[in-house]
Amino acid sequence: MTEMLRAPAEVKYAEELDWLESVDDGPKPFSWRLSPRMVRLFVLGSERSDGLDREIPQKWFGDRSFVERAIVTLASDRGLLLIGDPGTGKSWLAELLAAAISRNSTLVVQGTAGTTEDHIKYSWNVSMVIAKGQSRDSMIPSPIMTAMEHGVIGRFEELTRSTSDVQDALISILSEKYVSIPELDDDNIVFAQPGFSIIATANSRDRGVNDLSSALKRRFNFVRIPVVTNKKSEAEIVRFRTVELLRRHNIDLELPPTLLDILLRSFADLRAAAASAQSDDGRLESALSTAEQIGVLEDAILHSNFFGDRTLKAETLAGSLVGSLARRTPEDLAILNKYWHGVVEPRSKKEGGEWQGFLEGGRQAIATLS
Amino acid sequence: MSTFGALRRQLDDAAETFAGSPGALSEILTGMVDDVDRALGERLEIFPVCHHSPASALAMARRLRDKQPQVIYLELCEDLRPLLDELRTCRLPVALQAFATELDGFPESWGPLSVVAPITEASAEYQAIAYALDTPGVELVLVDRSSDHVFQWHPREEPGRPAEEAALHGDAVGVEIGDLRPRFAELEEHLLHHGKVRHWSEWWDQYVEQPLAGADYDTYRQVMVLIGGLFRRLRPHDAAKLDRDEDRERHMWTRMREHLAATGADPERCLYVCGAFHAASRVEEFGLDAARTDFEISPRTATNWLYGLIPSSHSAIEAQFGLAPGSVSIAAATYDKAVSRGGVKPYTLKGQQKGRRPGTKPPAAPVAVADQLSEFLSKPAQRDPLDEAELLGWCVDIVRLARRNGYLSSTADAIAVYETSILLAGMRGRARPTLYDFQDAAVTCIEKDTVPGRRDVRRLCEIMLGGDRIGEVGYQSMPPLAQDVFERLAPLGYDMTKRAVHRVLLDLNADPELEPCSHLLWVLRRLMPEHAVRPIMGSRRLGERSVQESWDVALGHHQRALIELGYEGVTVEQVLEQRLRRSVWEPKATAADALQAVEEAILFLGGRRFTDELGARAVELLAAERSVDDAPDVLRRVRRLLAHYRATEPALPEWCERFVTTGYAQYCTLLPTAFVAEDVGVRQVAAMLGFLASMESLALSLGCDRAQLELAVRQSHPETPGKIALLWAARFQLGVLTIGELRERCAELLANPLVVPSFPQYLSGFVQALEAAPVLTPFVVEVISGAFARLPDEVLLPWLPTLIQTLREEAPELVPVLIREAGRTFPATLTAVDAWVPPWTAPSGPGGAEVATATGAGAAGGPVTGLLAAHPAAADALAALLGCEGGWKTLTPAGSAPGHDASGGSPEVAALVARHPATVDAVAALLCGGAAV
Ligand SMILES: Nc1ncnc2c1ncn2[C@@H]1O[C@H](COP(=O)(O)OP(=O)(O)O)[C@@H](O)[C@H]1O
Ligand SMILES: [Mg+2]
Repeated sequence: MTEMLRAPAEVKYAEELDWLESVDDGPKPFSWRLSPRMVRLFVLGSERSDGLDREIPQKWFGDRSFVERAIVTLASDRGLLLIGDPGTGKSWLAELLAAAISRNSTLVVQGTAGTTEDHIKYSWNVSMVIAKGQSRDSMIPSPIMTAMEHGVIGRFEELTRSTSDVQDALISILSEKYVSIPELDDDNIVFAQPGFSIIATANSRDRGVNDLSSALKRRFNFVRIPVVTNKKSEAEIVRFRTVELLRRHNIDLELPPTLLDILLRSFADLRAAAASAQSDDGRLESALSTAEQIGVLEDAILHSNFFGDRTLKAETLAGSLVGSLARRTPEDLAILNKYWHGVVEPRSKKEGGEWQGFLEGGRQAIATLS
Repeated sequence: MSTFGALRRQLDDAAETFAGSPGALSEILTGMVDDVDRALGERLEIFPVCHHSPASALAMARRLRDKQPQVIYLELCEDLRPLLDELRTCRLPVALQAFATELDGFPESWGPLSVVAPITEASAEYQAIAYALDTPGVELVLVDRSSDHVFQWHPREEPGRPAEEAALHGDAVGVEIGDLRPRFAELEEHLLHHGKVRHWSEWWDQYVEQPLAGADYDTYRQVMVLIGGLFRRLRPHDAAKLDRDEDRERHMWTRMREHLAATGADPERCLYVCGAFHAASRVEEFGLDAARTDFEISPRTATNWLYGLIPSSHSAIEAQFGLAPGSVSIAAATYDKAVSRGGVKPYTLKGQQKGRRPGTKPPAAPVAVADQLSEFLSKPAQRDPLDEAELLGWCVDIVRLARRNGYLSSTADAIAVYETSILLAGMRGRARPTLYDFQDAAVTCIEKDTVPGRRDVRRLCEIMLGGDRIGEVGYQSMPPLAQDVFERLAPLGYDMTKRAVHRVLLDLNADPELEPCSHLLWVLRRLMPEHAVRPIMGSRRLGERSVQESWDVALGHHQRALIELGYEGVTVEQVLEQRLRRSVWEPKATAADALQAVEEAILFLGGRRFTDELGARAVELLAAERSVDDAPDVLRRVRRLLAHYRATEPALPEWCERFVTTGYAQYCTLLPTAFVAEDVGVRQVAAMLGFLASMESLALSLGCDRAQLELAVRQSHPETPGKIALLWAARFQLGVLTIGELRERCAELLANPLVVPSFPQYLSGFVQALEAAPVLTPFVVEVISGAFARLPDEVLLPWLPTLIQTLREEAPELVPVLIREAGRTFPATLTAVDAWVPPWTAPSGPGGAEVATATGAGAAGGPVTGLLAAHPAAADALAALLGCEGGWKTLTPAGSAPGHDASGGSPEVAALVARHPATVDAVAALLCGGAAV
């Protein structure tokens, strides 16, 4: 296999998926590669009570009923819309589901203000059209159309950012389950094969940008993914992503549990502070999501690996945290400064250990930035 | 045993995880088998139950029909027994309650103590109770420790109440029959995680309830004891000390042995109903044949326990016992469904009001007969046409309900919910969709990004499945107080026991016979939570009587609060009297509190004896007070009370007089310190002065000495501007300072640029002083006008906001007085302004200036003063005739500010009037048409 900067889930977990497929004796809907129960097992990991010969690690962390509801939705004839705050793992869950069900998670349309109907239907290869005229050969199917043709899962990221024209086009795809190509005289309808469905994601903070029409809403089942507030699951997510990252960069570096704890606690503190802040000025601009925590850790790890002595230190972590969260000067810096003085300092006196390094590193970073 | 394969795997797995070592594991596993053998082998038949388990309730009904026991022993506080007979009149769920406010033997801080034991219809205990009470010759014996022991066994260092608040149950300690849950969080978490379910009720439903649906009695007992045994063996080591489970088991076995010995009942015909956890007990006292031990049941404390029934609800039970929202409702729906399917005929208490809602209609004819069940279980799951019809029915209903609640749902959604339920059940390894699957499916297919109405789909599902059932206590089972209330409100013509908000209109002029109802409503408003009884129109204050009132009365919704009032007394009046009495004897009670109690006693209870008692206490409290924080409150209240008594009684109550003299002496003593103390505000000092000034004539007539006040004022040396102004006003009031001197001092202040910034504080001091010296009102207006006139704009403009703020914060109630005075002083029209000459610059009449300034008589109103000043001879003659020796200079006018108490006049006048009451009476008769003064 060729090197990829970031392999899609079906490639990364190819071996595991093969194995699961080989032991799966459950009934499979349509053209699904795995039965719904196996899909769930792939996403949420195995238990001893599942009676498998090998352990399947958990890949998405959260309430299991969300995953179950998502899977059964895809087995019904409705699309799935994952909605939630940014960084709650919606896209990741969508990727995992598509990989498990169709072995292809790459049929993705990215919703932006510039997304047009062509992006979800088809467009033309202009030079071929000039050379040979309009035909199926000179047509470039969109990822969604490809998913229809093959009876697999297509994905639509950030659905609410796309305009209402695009949303309307999606309605007809989801209800009629075919796309007609009026430019062609024959062979001008592409029918969706059984197994075709769409997983869309939407950012609940975007609400109001392009509200979904009720007709479109009706064709999607909504599964709301809440922000993880449970420290244990959050630790699992962060650890999981970090290990993966280390592997991807071929970095041989330990993630000390005490540092992970410091990271989680400081995020929890900052979230609490944001929740009780009176105005936006008293609140960090960052949403302080799990994904941002991962970002901080990623930054610290890369920094230690390439510029440090290959061990992750509390100072570095503090520097990365300040660096990633101080977006607005002076507001964000002031908040972080207050946090360092009011919380980190007393805590390092009381608990000592890595907190001392964290205190130092943070102070320096704040001093440099101010 | 394949039906229970999944359960077995769950239990084994948990045992393995938490056992610690392989040796311990095998010990646990064999121990569990021993537990089962011991429980099932016991001579006295043990019926293990679990709370909110439909399987338990159904198995109980079956067993009772088969066995027809003569005696039933039930795990429930033994002192609650008499309440059970009253369940008949209630609609379930209700809770049995033991309540104590007079503690004896418990820390005072624990009170009031309250134990509640909710009883739902879908429960094994209800089956046992209904059977026992309605079958002649059957005895029902409660064997668990008494409510008193619940607290006796409570760890002393902890407060006697759980943190959780469950609306209907308040902060009572909940007791439940058959509490069967993992005893520590990790075990529960483990079971949930490995069982792939979200919460405990769902785990129980999937791994125990469903497999047990068709099980025979022995299997039922085995499974229950097995689970009880495991939880027991896996509980933390120190749990035994904390939860007192074993002591309860000792208690129960001891009581049962005692009962058998006393009655000679045949153990074969007895049934012991207890939680599965207790069925797996290993205490020495377990079993009828156990040897005697030295376990003794300790006597109850002398605490006075009261008993009653209060309404409960599914959601209150869920909240109190930490169950997932909706789980009790879902258990009830499952039970109803099983009952309507037939096979078992449950017991119901005769006369019981059914709690069932119309929403859950029973499906058609029962198909599954008992002996078909075993066959059904051995076959792989197959959807029963009945189940299918029911599921379809739910799908249609939920869509309809959702539409009524603003969702854009359609038939397509009903189909989607149906499909999704089945798919979810399949993925979750369930033979048929449970209510939980259905609920998840409905949420998935119907809920979108926003909830259009008040309720989301999850909540709608609960409502559809019967919703939160709220119980009702029958009239006959209510305490006398509640019955009395309903009886006395009957003339209003509503059934107040109904759960509704009644809008009541009272026209007391047209229907004077409704006066007692109005009175009762006011008392209830004083005693009950805010929304139970709410006046929309009408008020009750001293000296007021409303002729029309309108009320929102929701006593049905607040049954519990009303019933709990019933623990405190037989009538609401008695309860109020006790509470008022308690409030004035509390260690933290203040004189102001006591005056408030007096006022409330007058308003709601009437009767001099009690108000005099409270008043006497007020005097005591005032004499003992060293702080003057409450002075404004005291002043306000005592003025109101004096006015009330003057208007309604021939003479002031003795305590009032003592209150005035005590207050006079007290405030005189405290005045010099209050003037300098930093933590005493201007308001407080002003109120003290107000008290001294307005009560003076009364106090002097009762023997107080004015010299005391003069001395106190002379000893006062305030340093802050506000208080300095107050002192000046006080000295003016005493006649030591003339108005001219006051004017001069103010002019000096305004002229001094260093002092100008603090001038608003002086002003606010003067404004506050109006409390004590209302005659100063025109002067204060004058000072403010002067400030506006003399200060340059660059000082004045920044200064204005401060002035307004200071006045608003420190003297809100005196500002209107000031404004009224200003309205009188300043011209009303623009044209008049040009010609206007401020009264303080206008030349005074001959000889009048001296009089007016020294006494402030200008305030009493121009014409009269003018007249008197112009013809002093007449007044002199009159004074001589009446024996008034003071002459012109000492004459201070009676307080003339509106609302100002008449006693605020000069002591001489008061003394004079007191000496010659006949004159005043005659004048009063002339002026007021005979009303007493
Ligand atoms: N619940 C979760 N389980 C596993 N990883 C998560 C979870 N939540 C967030 N992450 C990690 O955070 C990163 C950002 O998540 P993403 O799926 O892009 O969020 P979203 O699409 O909701 O904005 C992902 O790469 C994922 O690894
Ligand atoms: Mg995303």
